[in-house]
Amino acid sequence: MARTEVLPAESRRPGRSETAAALSLAARMPRLILEARRVTASLAHGLHGRRRAGPGESFWQFRPFVTGEAAGRIDWRRSGRDDRLYVREREWETPHAVWLWIDRSASMAFRSDLAETPKIERAFVLGLALADTLVEAGERVGLLGLKQPTASRRVAEGFAQTFAARERDLDDDLPPATPIGRLDEAVIVSDFLSPLPELRRRVEAISSRGARGHLVMIVDPVEETFPFGGQAVLEEPEAGLRLRIGDAASWGASYRRRMAAHRGAIAELARARGWSVTIHHTDKPATQPALRVLTLVAGAPGTGGA
Amino acid sequence: MLGLPLTFLSPLVLAALVTLPAIWLLLRVTPPQPRRIDFPPLRILADLLPEQENPARTPWWLLALRLLVAALLILAAAGPLWNPGAAGGRGPLLVILDSGFPAAYDWRERAAFAAERIEGAQRDGRPVALLATGERPGGLETVSPAAALDRLRAVKPQPWLVDRRNHADAVTRFLAAQPDAEIVWISDGVAGAGDSAFSEALAAAAGARSLAVFQAPAPPAVALAGLENRAGQLVVHVLRAVPNGRDAGTLRAMDLKGLPLADAQFAFQPGATEAEASFEVPMEIRNAIARIDILGESSAGAVHLSDERGKRRRIGLVSGSTADQAQPLLAPTYYLARALGPYGEVREAPGGVAEAVGQLLDQQVSVLVLADVGTLDRDTYRRVAEFVDKGGLLLRFAGTRLAAGNDDLVPVRLRRGGRNLGGALSWDAPRTLAPFTRESPFFGLAVPADLGVRRQILAEPDGELSRKTWAALQDGTPIVTADWRGQGMVVLVHVTADAAWSNLPLTGLFVDMLRRVVALSGNPDVVGADQKADIQTVAPTRVLDGFGALVAPPPTAKAVQRNHSDRASPEHPPGYYGPTESSLAVNALLAGDKLAPLPLGPLASRTAPLARAETLDLRAPLLTAAILLLLADALVSLWLGGHLQRLRPRRVAAAAALAAALGLPCLVGGQPALAQGSGRASPDPALVTRLAYVVTGDATIDQTSKAGLTGLTQALAARTALEAGEPAAVDLARDELAFFPLLYVPVAPNQPLPSPAAIRKLDAFMKNGGTILFDTRDAMNARPGGEPTAETQALRRMLATLDIPELEPVPRDHVLTKTFYLLDRFPGRYGTGQTWVEALPPAADGERRPARAGDGVSPIVITSNDLAAAWAVGRNGEPMFPVIGADPRQREMAFRGGVNLVMYTLTGNYKADQVHVPALLERLGQ
Repeated sequence: MARTEVLPAESRRPGRSETAAALSLAARMPRLILEARRVTASLAHGLHGRRRAGPGESFWQFRPFVTGEAAGRIDWRRSGRDDRLYVREREWETPHAVWLWIDRSASMAFRSDLAETPKIERAFVLGLALADTLVEAGERVGLLGLKQPTASRRVAEGFAQTFAARERDLDDDLPPATPIGRLDEAVIVSDFLSPLPELRRRVEAISSRGARGHLVMIVDPVEETFPFGGQAVLEEPEAGLRLRIGDAASWGASYRRRMAAHRGAIAELARARGWSVTIHHTDKPATQPALRVLTLVAGAPGTGGA
Repeated sequence: MLGLPLTFLSPLVLAALVTLPAIWLLLRVTPPQPRRIDFPPLRILADLLPEQENPARTPWWLLALRLLVAALLILAAAGPLWNPGAAGGRGPLLVILDSGFPAAYDWRERAAFAAERIEGAQRDGRPVALLATGERPGGLETVSPAAALDRLRAVKPQPWLVDRRNHADAVTRFLAAQPDAEIVWISDGVAGAGDSAFSEALAAAAGARSLAVFQAPAPPAVALAGLENRAGQLVVHVLRAVPNGRDAGTLRAMDLKGLPLADAQFAFQPGATEAEASFEVPMEIRNAIARIDILGESSAGAVHLSDERGKRRRIGLVSGSTADQAQPLLAPTYYLARALGPYGEVREAPGGVAEAVGQLLDQQVSVLVLADVGTLDRDTYRRVAEFVDKGGLLLRFAGTRLAAGNDDLVPVRLRRGGRNLGGALSWDAPRTLAPFTRESPFFGLAVPADLGVRRQILAEPDGELSRKTWAALQDGTPIVTADWRGQGMVVLVHVTADAAWSNLPLTGLFVDMLRRVVALSGNPDVVGADQKADIQTVAPTRVLDGFGALVAPPPTAKAVQRNHSDRASPEHPPGYYGPTESSLAVNALLAGDKLAPLPLGPLASRTAPLARAETLDLRAPLLTAAILLLLADALVSLWLGGHLQRLRPRRVAAAAALAAALGLPCLVGGQPALAQGSGRASPDPALVTRLAYVVTGDATIDQTSKAGLTGLTQALAARTALEAGEPAAVDLARDELAFFPLLYVPVAPNQPLPSPAAIRKLDAFMKNGGTILFDTRDAMNARPGGEPTAETQALRRMLATLDIPELEPVPRDHVLTKTFYLLDRFPGRYGTGQTWVEALPPAADGERRPARAGDGVSPIVITSNDLAAAWAVGRNGEPMFPVIGADPRQREMAFRGGVNLVMYTLTGNYKADQVHVPALLERLGQ
């Protein structure tokens, strides 16, 4: 019979090991393919048009003043150094970002001896690896409700520190209902073991401006198969629920039916908003969901790839 | 019960077995605890109620287990007994237990048999009276069986033959008072004193009452009686009462300290009750024998203790010559002491002849040797004559004084003067001895060809002369004469005890002759004429208990007189009496004693073999089984409840460890010696010379010591012919030190004092030629005249228990400063500390030697300069610590000092002798 345990709260903060695993995973991601896709981005909304002059805040380059331009655009400080007139151009900054959210509630700290790692560890590795890969590919990644998008090279460490420092929302098992931009994308990593209506409300709030998103569902093999028999007392770590079942084997059958229905509802909810659902079992390697989510982000219609 | 030898003490309890079905029902309705599962998805399906309650039933085998536990508990409460033994009457039980030394061999069975009978009485609620025949007679009364059991545990076999007759009265009185008593006599089957009287009294008193004599069909006791000091062998008599199957065995002779000296086998002829065993060991070892045991027979009768009387002959030497002390190697007493030393205890006394003779007689010598003593004064003459009359042996040697005049303490009448043979004025050549006649005690000794007698004293011709002659020259003139006088003997050798008159004292024949003469001496019971009336009494010092072990004497033991020659009794238990150096041994049996079977008389028909009924109380095994099963039940319950699951990894590890622990001995069982040997730090410590340091337990110090000795070893290999092995770490408590010439001992202030065993080991190491280098490493902190540092105090504590010689700072001419380099000081990491070695003997006046050394190597060198830190090198040969001092060559000097030290320990005072080589060569003309 499988053995299960809920790890203590300290395990729900990413440590050096998770960060290192995430970076190692990110290093193995096929970045070139992603970039190749990105090169075909449209001018208007393509993420990769950013490395050029345009509306933005940061300095990009000086160029000679062209007759007919508004005189107010002349950069007098630069122009005063020689006889020509120069215009200061700024880098074109798009408001497009990828927002990441990782479930850190107590149910994520669950592991069985059928799995390789606890769910939370897999979620951190996956989320931070995605963030790192996306930043490498030129995207800006933020933490939903926690941290503004950034393109820092050390995004994985930064996120890990943010997670480790934040205790307030440690028990939230759903993302904050924060709307994100129309062109932004959300990546929600969770086990989605929460009542369906609440989940629907949050997803709708996040995508209220038309943003797209990806739900990554981390599942322990025991949660999938329920390989128990005989008399048992089930305990739930977050709400403190207890259920005494007489015959676990027969109860497991109905559990599996109910679980399938729950997943079906989530898939339906995502499909209605144009989101994708990725189910990942912790007894499988983390590369599978990472690759799939990257592919989905890269191939999203909003980025012009498809 | 049911044909089985099984009874219950309280059979009514068995009725509780009826309740087993009720227990069964109760157990059935109590299911085990369900297992607990952490399961987060429960939150979204809390409404999913279980469809079917399946109250996991208690498995049938668990039910059976618990019922078995209940049944076992009920059975145990009923008090089952296996082989309950014979049921006796209702009256009191009289147990007579023989407790002399013949009972000691199988005492355990006897006591167990008695205990079994008393326990039987305890079950039947009968009072018990216990009589141990080895103890002094007293009132006999009934006590409770428990008290009797306590008394039985206190009864031990006594180291003498029991006198059963003493107890007849008590038994008769007891039986008269207790008409319904049952009598059990557990006999050892060996006759003591007054046995028939006791048997008859017992038979008469017992009448028709139940009486049984339990004894082994053949008493197994074997005993030793007497020791015979025959020529060349020591004969011991082994006794048994009847042929009992124990036909052969081993005797072991031990000295006073209990160290085995020799073994001898004995074997009884079939049907014989006596046997002899002989130790054929040299005289010296024979003299050292203090005790002879029958191996495996723990009984006082199987021990023979010997004392001074049996072995060592005390020999007093008196010389008449006065100037002997000026040339001690030419004195007659020197030849005598050397010749007699191996065979007796030679004593000499200071002072003149009269005084010396008096002192020696006071010391109870058994042989008095007068070398060239002419006449004795009146008092001395009287004492000597009395000494001889009482059995002493007087051995006289001729000389100029005896030739001048003699008293009558000689075996033959002597002529004045003497006879010169082979002198300048004589025609004769020196004569040699004629072969010894058959009557002579010297018969069989070979006469060496180069023996020559140049001068002798002549005896007056006499009809008795040939009878008194033990040895004669070739021409028939007697050279050794002897005669009985009273109980003693006077022997006269007609030549001197030194080489002046003959070369007899230079030959091996002299030693053999003296040995035979001395062997003739008896033991004079002479203390002195005036002390004859009151013979000294000696108190017991160590006595044998019934099992033949030496113990402190009991308060009932009384002192014996010096001439005590009886066998042991309750007042005088066997053992040693008097001071250790001249103790008197009393033995359980005398020479000539016999062991006889116990005459039972009218009771002979009532004997029964001594066989235990083996009554077994089944309560304890039943309760143990029930508790074990309860434990198993608890484990099973935990397992069914899922609580054992979380223990699994540890349990697997524990099981693996257990399997390894059980399996490993099987694997290595074939080569246990190899396995033990391979655990040593240095497998071949004796093959490679290596330096060693003592592990202090402080990792820093130990590392420094190791690195330091490594550095010194490298320096030695580079500069000298010594290529030592890896330095060895030595644990004083565990390791053998004998393999190391030099032991470096850094003193750590907080290290615990070495154990006494370790100190002894260090002491032995120093005594056997090892050198210990103590390093207090505190030259930096020590102030001259100031408070001693912690390290110095630790060193003082350690040395307080060591036997160390006088020390001095290394003198400038000590050989330690010259062994390899020429040095004047021995710096280490610090240069200011003083180095101490064993003080040399002062130089002889006027002698100028460039190097001095004692006879050996100084066993101890003490420094405070932290030598190891100066020698310490890292992996690449770089020094590990800076040296502290002004001299830039200090590290080099430290290495030189170390080289000198190692050379000194290895070569000793060789270098001190080496400085004389030029002079020797010059003298040899080379």
